[in-house]
Amino acid sequence: MTDRPDWAPADVDHNTATVARAYDYLLGGSHNFAADRALARQMISAVPDVKVQARANRAFLHRTTRYLLDQGIRQFLDIGSGIPTVGNVHEIAQKVDTAARVAYVDIDPIAVAHSRQILATNEGATAIREDFANPGAILEHPSVVELLDFDEPMGLLLVALLHAVRDERDPYGALEVLKERLAPGSYLVIGHGTHDQHPAAVKAVAEAVSRTATPLALRSHAEILRFFDGFEMVDPGLVWSSEWRPDSPDDQPSNPTGYIYGGVGRKP
Amino acid sequence: MTPIERFARAWGRSVHDASYVLLANDERDAFFLDLTERIAAAMTADRFDPAVGYRVGADLASTEEIAPEALGRTITELSTRFLPALDLCGVIGRDRLTALIEAFSMGYATALHDHTLDRQEAVRRADIAARSEAEMALRRSEERLRHAALHDSLTGLPNRAQLIHWLGELRTDAAAPARFGVCLIGLDRFHSVNNSLGYSAGDRLLIAAARRLSQLPEGIACHLGGDEFALLIRGTAEPEEAIKAADRALAALRTPFEVDGHELPLSASAGVVERAVRDGDPTDALRAAAMALHWAKVEGRDRWSFFDEDRNAGAVARYRLSAEMPGALARGEFRLVYQPMVDLATGAVVGFESLARWDHPELGLLSPDRFIGLAEDSGFILPLGMHLLERACRQAVRWHGDGAEPPFVSVNLAARQLCHPGLAAEVAIILDRVGLPPHRLQLEITEHAAMTAEGEALGNVRALAGMAVRVALDDFGTGYCGLSYLRRLPVHAIKLAGSFVAGLDGDSTASRTDEAVLAALVHLGHTLRLTVTAEGIESERQRAKLLALGCDVGQGWLLGRPASPEKLFG
Repeated sequence: MTDRPDWAPADVDHNTATVARAYDYLLGGSHNFAADRALARQMISAVPDVKVQARANRAFLHRTTRYLLDQGIRQFLDIGSGIPTVGNVHEIAQKVDTAARVAYVDIDPIAVAHSRQILATNEGATAIREDFANPGAILEHPSVVELLDFDEPMGLLLVALLHAVRDERDPYGALEVLKERLAPGSYLVIGHGTHDQHPAAVKAVAEAVSRTATPLALRSHAEILRFFDGFEMVDPGLVWSSEWRPDSPDDQPSNPTGYIYGGVGRKP
Repeated sequence: MTPIERFARAWGRSVHDASYVLLANDERDAFFLDLTERIAAAMTADRFDPAVGYRVGADLASTEEIAPEALGRTITELSTRFLPALDLCGVIGRDRLTALIEAFSMGYATALHDHTLDRQEAVRRADIAARSEAEMALRRSEERLRHAALHDSLTGLPNRAQLIHWLGELRTDAAAPARFGVCLIGLDRFHSVNNSLGYSAGDRLLIAAARRLSQLPEGIACHLGGDEFALLIRGTAEPEEAIKAADRALAALRTPFEVDGHELPLSASAGVVERAVRDGDPTDALRAAAMALHWAKVEGRDRWSFFDEDRNAGAVARYRLSAEMPGALARGEFRLVYQPMVDLATGAVVGFESLARWDHPELGLLSPDRFIGLAEDSGFILPLGMHLLERACRQAVRWHGDGAEPPFVSVNLAARQLCHPGLAAEVAIILDRVGLPPHRLQLEITEHAAMTAEGEALGNVRALAGMAVRVALDDFGTGYCGLSYLRRLPVHAIKLAGSFVAGLDGDSTASRTDEAVLAALVHLGHTLRLTVTAEGIESERQRAKLLALGCDVGQGWLLGRPASPEKLFG
């Protein structure tokens, strides 16, 4: 046990925007503060349909969650879960199977505290505050160890997370630790922002986010694909997230492509 | 598909794009069908109730997050498509539809407002929860730090800092008792456990010892670090209480410990202090207890020792004396006196033993037993001894034999000097510098030092003998060991302990035994071709008996008291 507090009160400051709460606002949520809304508005001015992108990203999370449920997955580790009010993984999963279990992990203490309020009576779901770059702490966290069975396949959800982890924090190494721990037959879901298509607009968003605790780390298609190393890509591979197995053609937003890649890999 | 279903599906789809939460298609269709049926029922009811519209609007606004577009699109759907789609044009009046849409909008807006307020409240609660959790985490870590600062990390007992804090509190706390006691407890030879069984076994032993001490009801057990523990006893009545606690603690530790399958016997020593809180600074008690613990260890361990102010004053005085020695040497306060060594047969002086004196400015003339031991402890014996040796040699150079061999000078060597690696070389340099022939220097070493001589000491004796310096064994006959060491050591003389000579005066059995022992020792010396010297001759009778026993050389008040060179040699 270290002598450092788990987090300092200074970390909890609703005068400083977080991406998690700005994202909640973009999704039409009210679980945000003035600073978060200001950040979201800056993002909107850089990419006018950023709300559509946020929604497409959320839709991708829902579709992939349902896909994993169809494959028999009943436990999920959702890292970078953010404010969990808007279409939660545990709601989708527990609708399919009431015994499904979901562990949410986020770095934002307010998001985690809010998650705990929501999950207070839910035995199949938990929320912990931990940093993706510290995978050992996630894997050894008592709440996670108690809830999830790492000997059974699970879904590791990293939707809109990795583009908030810069290379100097070694996201590839951290992910390797997590992948190593997963049982064969587990799935890895990644949604990841890119500057491949609209470098200028994305740069402006990156600038807006740069002053938060999680500045953007945008990557190319090839760089994102590398996160799946050792896993078998599920069809159709790493594509624009809205094009990943859409429910029906009219489910797609009008102009969804160009910002976020999505893909699912399976551990052989 | 019924007209109602058709309308519901189209409505749901138009709102879908504006919805942030994407319901699955069938869920969405079911939800909008329900809303549509409720509206249709209200519209076609005999008695129109616009409140239905209000509730439908509220329900739509409650479907998790919904975009502002949803309201506009719904109004469009209801106002332009509802009546035609359900084939109600002309059947239902526009005013009824308008009233329903108005109620719907109010219900939607009100619900949206309420939800927004609820969610804002929820996120603020989360903010407060996160803050208080963070503050608790900080407090926990502060508590951990505080605990770590005041407790031993291995045993969890209060540590030295905590004990000192408590002792300090005795003086400042109004509710403090009048008297208190401290037992400082040191485990005897604990390092040998570490050395033989390893540090982890040593740590487990410390933990077990800590557990036993903490179960003693007499006081609060503390772990001051390493093998040192303490008991703080608040509110004693008399020294006995603290001593009893120390006794109990030592007894508790005396029961063997079981560590890693080994049964480890252990003993401990304790230094005990008991005093009134008003008697000086309570934190000084720890220093006093440490002094008493030192005494207990010196006295042979496995015992307690009670701190005694007089004894401490003696220790302090010795320490002060020890510290003064270098300055005293520089100021020339050390000097030598000489006592003649006489051929018992002829009465001729064959040598002088040099004896050190310290002319202390305050304490007067100090004999060697007051300061040689201290100098050995501090290591100052090495420079002091060499200085005195050179002085003695310089003196000896001036002596003449009046035709016969001039007297030798006999200088005492401390055990520590004997072990000093450079001894023989340094003696050679001094003899050379002073110009004294080596055979005119005799070095006296105690029988005990000779007996235990090995390594450096043995090499020194051999080297000194090799360069013709005489080596004499002082206090011969008082050792408790065999005589085999005599074979290893090239010595020239033995000096019989003065206690045997003192016994020669009487006619008792004891006196006859002493005489017999002396006879045997003289015989032994001569068999080994050693000169035999007797010390402490104070009477003519002693001299005569020693002469009769064949003793070669005599020394004592009868034959000449130690005196300054000025008196002796003018």
